Amino acid sequence: MSVDADVPKLVDAPELLRAEGVTKNYGPSIVLRGLDLRVARGEVVALVGDNGAGKSTFIKILSGFHQPTAGTLYWEGREFSLASPTQARARGIETVYQDLALVNDLSVAQNMFLGREPIKRVLGFPLTDARAMRIKTREFLDQVGIRLNSVDSLVRDLSGGQRQSIAVARAMQSQPKLLIMDEPLAALGVREGAHVLKLVQEIRRRRDVSIILIVHNYSQIFEVCDRINFLFLGEIVLDVATSEITEEELIRMVKSGLGAKPAAASNAAGI
Amino acid sequence: MAAPAPAGQPPSATRTMGDRLKALIRYPETGITVVAIVIAIVFELLNGAFLTSEVPVLLASTAQYGLIAVGEAMLMITGEIDLSAAKIYSTTPFFAFYLSAVGLPWPAAIPLALVGAAAIGWLNGLITVRLGVPSLISTLGMLFLLNGAVLTVSHSQPARTPENFINVFLGGDQQNAGTGITQIAAFLWLVAIALAFTVVLRRTRFGLHTIAVGSNLLAARELGIRTERTKILNFVIMAVLAGFAGIIESCASGSIDPSAGDNTLTLYAIAAAVIGGTSLFGGSGTVIGALIGSFVVASLNDGLPLVGAQAGFADVPLGIAIVAAMILNIKLTALRARQV
Repeated sequence: MSVDADVPKLVDAPELLRAEGVTKNYGPSIVLRGLDLRVARGEVVALVGDNGAGKSTFIKILSGFHQPTAGTLYWEGREFSLASPTQARARGIETVYQDLALVNDLSVAQNMFLGREPIKRVLGFPLTDARAMRIKTREFLDQVGIRLNSVDSLVRDLSGGQRQSIAVARAMQSQPKLLIMDEPLAALGVREGAHVLKLVQEIRRRRDVSIILIVHNYSQIFEVCDRINFLFLGEIVLDVATSEITEEELIRMVKSGLGAKPAAASNAAGI
Repeated sequence: MAAPAPAGQPPSATRTMGDRLKALIRYPETGITVVAIVIAIVFELLNGAFLTSEVPVLLASTAQYGLIAVGEAMLMITGEIDLSAAKIYSTTPFFAFYLSAVGLPWPAAIPLALVGAAAIGWLNGLITVRLGVPSLISTLGMLFLLNGAVLTVSHSQPARTPENFINVFLGGDQQNAGTGITQIAAFLWLVAIALAFTVVLRRTRFGLHTIAVGSNLLAARELGIRTERTKILNFVIMAVLAGFAGIIESCASGSIDPSAGDNTLTLYAIAAAVIGGTSLFGGSGTVIGALIGSFVVASLNDGLPLVGAQAGFADVPLGIAIVAAMILNIKLTALRARQV
């Protein structure tokens, strides 16, 4: 992407998140087997891999849904654990799920604050502050460059790209330290996908939020990531900076060096 | 009738008129309001005494269906339903009666009876949410359980409503029960409660979470909303409203009847919520719609016999109205989507 030149280089960025030997079993099936991953502050890391590689399980651990069976997580150098999604959010980890976690029957503004609505006391009753929600929603949308006719529109009535953008704007609204995006491009057309990538690039340029981008197809996101981690059968088998490798080289590596394994996985998945 | 019917508007409406109409159909209550007005006008034209002389009766039935319909609407918005509502309606006054009989004054007996109703709702919710039993089944079980319990304990005999209950809830003494202000009183309770729950649904965290849980349970969970608690609380609200409706009815009729909570009462209330614009799919619905829907159900039930129809005939248009309302709901949702 041509805008790459404006993005400041990460120099000696302190570590934000480190996972060491993270393992997760569901009964007898082992989904993660000793996953190691490091994310520096302001860094954009792509986590790629086939279906069933363990991407979703790993982000569910990072967003507080599941606890690892074994292994350690470090946040800014200190060991930590997450018992619930609320704890993850409190720590500054925001996740944009593949389903976007938007409620069709609520308005854009109501979705923007769902789960942490501002409260205004009226005659002693704690009511949601609808006006504040509207005003702030407009601000957030402006900040990420999204235009909507009305923040009172029901989310049901918006396009796929608008929905994705709203989910990202919502995640950014609490000024997280780590933003996790699960397959943000999966359901989008080329133009809408480009808009979302621009949004990611915009966040990356500021270098104050780290992003883990879960993707199926890494060619789409090569330009917006600092590093690519390849997850295969529950382990990171390749960790490489995008500046040290071209897309063609990566494709060749995946096909040859790691070739046997991913190919087997693809076959197993029936792709 | 001096006032012209709304249908008499000239078709050459101005642009702003059209815009206003468009804005109006965005409200899910619009359809049912028009239906209610048309029904009232038709009955008034067919029987000149409908609105004037039948109002107290009509509003009393509206209140009876409406209090339960408000609870069902809230619950249906979370994607659940309560079939045991009519039995909670007949059980709760007995709670109050027995508590009163052992010497508790009404300020203790009635709230405690409502706590009993709340416990039933909580159990309905707990079995549904924690054990994963569909609410259609869990509340069906509760329906029979409560019915058997009440008939057994009361030996199928009605009890007299304590007089102080009547004074409290209907603003009149027992001699006046069944006439004038005492019947309006029940309706006034309904209006106050419906308005309160409209605010709860649209303007409180609990209300927005209720919509979220019914519309997209997974999303609500991902956002850290306590989905189970939200659902269970709505079962509790449903039960307390049904219990309250039962107490009010026992005051209006002067007797606590073990067979008062006929199951058709639950079905009428669900019908009122549905024709009022509440979807069984969860996520969408309105409390005011449930109130107006209750008025429509009451009008059909009470109004049709007045204009010469057989008593049971009201169920024919009601049946058609339920299905038509649901179809209209689906179509309107699609229409609203196209407008944006």
